[in-house]
Formats: sequence, C-alpha cells, structure tokens
Amino acid sequence: MRAVLPGAPEVLVTVAGDTTLLAAPVGVDDLAAAVRAAAPGALVVGSGTDLTVYKGTGDARTLARTYDLAAAAGWQGLAHTRMATESAVDAEGCHPFSVGPDQCLVHNGSFANHATIRRELRREGVVFDSDNDSEVGARFVAARLAEGDDLHKALRLLCERFDGFYTLLVTSGDGFAVVRDAIACKPAIVAETGAWVAMASEFRALAGLPGIDRARIFEPEPETVYAWTR
Amino acid sequence: MSFGALSAQAKEALGRGASEVGTSTTTGDGGMTPEERGQSRLLVYQYLPSRYGMNPTDLRAADAIEVVLGQGAKPGGGGMLLGQKISDRVAAMRTLPAGIDQRSASRHPDWTGPDDLAIKILELREITDWEKPVYVKIGASRTYYDVKLAVAAGADVVVVDGMQGGTAATQDVFIEHVGIPTLAAVPQAVRALQELGLHRKVQLVVSGGIRTGADVAKAMALGADAVAIGTAALVALGDNDPRHSAEYRALGSEAGFYDDYQDGRDPAGITTQDPELAARLDPVEGGRHIANYLRVLTMEAQTIARACGKAHLRHLEPEDLVALTVEAAAMARVPLAGTDWVPGAGSGRA
Repeated sequence: MRAVLPGAPEVLVTVAGDTTLLAAPVGVDDLAAAVRAAAPGALVVGSGTDLTVYKGTGDARTLARTYDLAAAAGWQGLAHTRMATESAVDAEGCHPFSVGPDQCLVHNGSFANHATIRRELRREGVVFDSDNDSEVGARFVAARLAEGDDLHKALRLLCERFDGFYTLLVTSGDGFAVVRDAIACKPAIVAETGAWVAMASEFRALAGLPGIDRARIFEPEPETVYAWTR
Repeated sequence: MSFGALSAQAKEALGRGASEVGTSTTTGDGGMTPEERGQSRLLVYQYLPSRYGMNPTDLRAADAIEVVLGQGAKPGGGGMLLGQKISDRVAAMRTLPAGIDQRSASRHPDWTGPDDLAIKILELREITDWEKPVYVKIGASRTYYDVKLAVAAGADVVVVDGMQGGTAATQDVFIEHVGIPTLAAVPQAVRALQELGLHRKVQLVVSGGIRTGADVAKAMALGADAVAIGTAALVALGDNDPRHSAEYRALGSEAGFYDDYQDGRDPAGITTQDPELAARLDPVEGGRHIANYLRVLTMEAQTIARACGKAHLRHLEPEDLVALTVEAAAMARVPLAGTDWVPGAGSGRA
C-alpha cells in the first residue's frame, strides 16, 4: 500500500468489524486506487477528507461499541439500520451508499425505475458496485453534484426522474438534505434548534437529544427538498 | 390506412375518435381529405413512393410528415388498390382512371438510400418552414440498421411496423413470409437508438399487431415511446360485427374472420368506396367507438404499469418483463420466466 502511494506516506489502518479504515496524507482518489489495487476483493464503501463510513451486520448496540461511536467527534453523523428486501444481508448491502467525495445517501423505500436510470448512468460512464436500487439514487446524486449542482437541486432532479417510494437523507461535505416521494408513505421526522438539526424515521430516535423539548419538530412534506448547510 | 382503402366516413371517424382522446391519426396513401383534416386535431401526413395527392398545401396543413419506406405487412413491397375501390373521388385524388386496378411503387422515385433521404427530408422541412416533425416509417426487417440509417437521414421520429401489421392488401406470400415480428424488432430499434445516444430523444413509435393494453405495455417496457394501431381501430369501428353475420356468410366468410378488405364489399361500410355500404357508418358514432376503445387500451396499459409499481406508463422497463416461451425470450431479449436465461444473448446478431 505504502509503496504505491505518492511519497510513500504513513498509512493509518484501523480494523473495526467488517470495515477497515485507512487514512493517509494523500489525495482521496490516490488512496482509493491504492486500496483497490492492494485488495481487489474489497469494496471501497466510502471515501473523503472529512468522512468515515462503517458497515457491518449484527446488533446495533454491539456495532456502536465495535466502531467506538461514543468517542467519535465531528459536525455531522448518520446512522442507518436495514431490513433487507431484495439484496443479501451482508456488510456490502448496508447503507449508506457513499459514492461521491464526502457524500452519503440512505434510502427507505424502493425505486421503481432504477434499471432504466442505471442504464443511462452507465452509458455516461458511471460505474456501479451492485444491482441495488438505492445505489442508483446515490450515483444519480453524485453525478449531479459532480456537475456542480447543489444538494437541493440534485434532489429536486431526483424527484423528477425517480419513480417509486423513497424517503432519502443525503449528506455532503457542506451539510445534508431530505426528500420524500409524492405519497410520502415512508416515515420521516425533523427536529431543528439553533444548535443542531436532526432527522430520523421515528421520533423515538430523537427523544434523547439535548434540548429536544425546545426544538421545532415537523414532518417533511412530500416532494419538497429540505436542505441545511453548515 | 388510406382514403381509398377506407371510406371517407371511416377516415372521419378515426379522426374524431383520436382527437377526442388527444392522439393523432395518419392519412395513409392517397392524399388528405377535408373530412379527415377537419376532424383530426393532430394529423400525420404520409409521404409515400406513389405521391398520390401530394402537394405543398397539404404538407403545410399537416401536423407532422411521415416518410414511408415500408410497411410491416410487406417490407419492400408496393401497393395495390383494386379497380372496384377506385371511385371517381378516389381516382381524382390520385390522378388515375376510375375503376382500373392501381399499383403503387415499392420504392421512392427520387431517392435510393439514406444519403438521398437526408436531402429529401431537408426538402420537406424547407417546404413546411422547419415547423413539422418528420417521421420515417420502416417495415421491420433489418431493423437495427434501418433505425440507425433513418436517424442518420434526419428523422425526428422512427416508426417501426412489425409483420403482424394488417394485410396492406398484399399477397399472401408477403403477409406470411416477409418481415420480422414486432416483438423482435423493438429491442433492435431500441439498441440502435441507445448506441446513438438518442433513445428517448428520437422517438420510437411501434406498430404491428397492437390490440390490447398488454401489447401497449410490453412495447413501452421494451423501450417504445408510443404505439400505433390499424386493424384494431377498424374492429373498434365495427368491422366484423356479428350483426352483419348474414352478409359476411354471403361473402364466403364469417363475422370475426372477414379480411377481404381489398374487394371493397365490406358490410360494415369501412373498407369500401360503395356509397350505399359506406353510408352505413355514422362518423360521429364511429368516432365515439374509437375513443372508447383508445381509453380502454390506455387504461389497460396503465393498470399493468401500476401493478409493476410505476407512477407512469413510461416508467415500465425491460426488467419488468419475462417471456413465456423460448422463442419470445430470444426475440424480446428478456429472460424466460423463472430463469435468468436470455436465449441468443451475446450472439451479436442484429
């Protein structure tokens, strides 16, 4: 690994369950390419300068200890547990789909026209890791952000293009955004205070947050993009 | 279907029905009648080898122009209208003698390939001040190449007509043995458009054997933007209605089986120029029948799309389909039901 990276830097390796975290003072693309070359069987589940992605199977509390989330620091966090509908229950099938720099997408629902959109994106040169419908949403958003759109516009375009059910939460290096399909049958709740913004599927996930009793709490409207930047 | 093949009343009824539900009708060979233009909100004017009734005024009065290279029932074949259907009015519109069998050419007189067609299309655009979309209609045979050539020649829309399309009053040997089925043609056409990066940009209209909403849904799922119908519309107008059973029997046929449209003796008054028979069809009532049929066709297709979880018919995709026979799987390039087997996939054959 170290030998193939420019300048042969120190590579910090942390193993946490199914996920191995690698950090080095080099470009993100160089690091990702080196990892793919060194471990062809491994899947790069996320990359960025300000992002850590852990994926694994098992009890959520146990995994939180494995990843030492209690000691984690940062300005934005995203956690997702998955009830698998179509693809296998393994680490690779876990959300978030982190396919662009410092980006993550989690999806509750099912896209109905993802095969067509995947075909279109592939034609434009986008490479996919899986047949998962949520990955198509993540690749679509990443392509829009790479074109220079902001999260708000990318999700508005996603609403126009994607059919099916979705409540989506997308994070980037600037902040995060939430959008739901026209029927909005998948749950979502947002809490906002002067100090923080939080979104969850159910209120009980927010109930323990400091100052929740003074937060503005609302359910996101269908086909409306809510975006927050830091 | 031309005025000549069909009565003026039938043409008017088709225009009324299509306009009521917001879709278009097509003139066919033989020129544009005032009845049809008057009752069709959107009228596609066919530009055929024969050039019957062709003139710049009617080209400008059309909403789109369809350059016809071939028909699914007879790709590579010309037309024939028997003398008994050449009434004085039909003859006048085609500048031909009444009562004499008429044969129309199988190829256009002034161009022989896509390079010349490009010039012809520019000419049509110039005549119509670049205002009318230009369709190119091909009979399904070597569809992959023909679609690419039609696009190269400048088509805004490609119409692919499969071999199940009507009879085109042609010979049995053509109807049964020339051309390929609609199901086999659509994936070829879609692949050609995808390779050009023009799928969903140059529109693909599919015809040939479309009768039910299931046919519509399958064509759309394979990648068609729209479908067109012919025979199904005639049946909706009342063709082969059992109330004419005695007359069908007298003609040596039966209600539900009659297809001697070339003879001009249609008891339903649709495929005839006989004034008494033609008067049997009320264009207003016929238009209502067409509209009802088109609404049901649409609703059936939408029902299938909904069942597949789609908010719109256009969101159907090949992945929503499986085939019930090995033959259908190979032609449609979708897996045989219950398997992931697509026979012939990767053979590279167009």
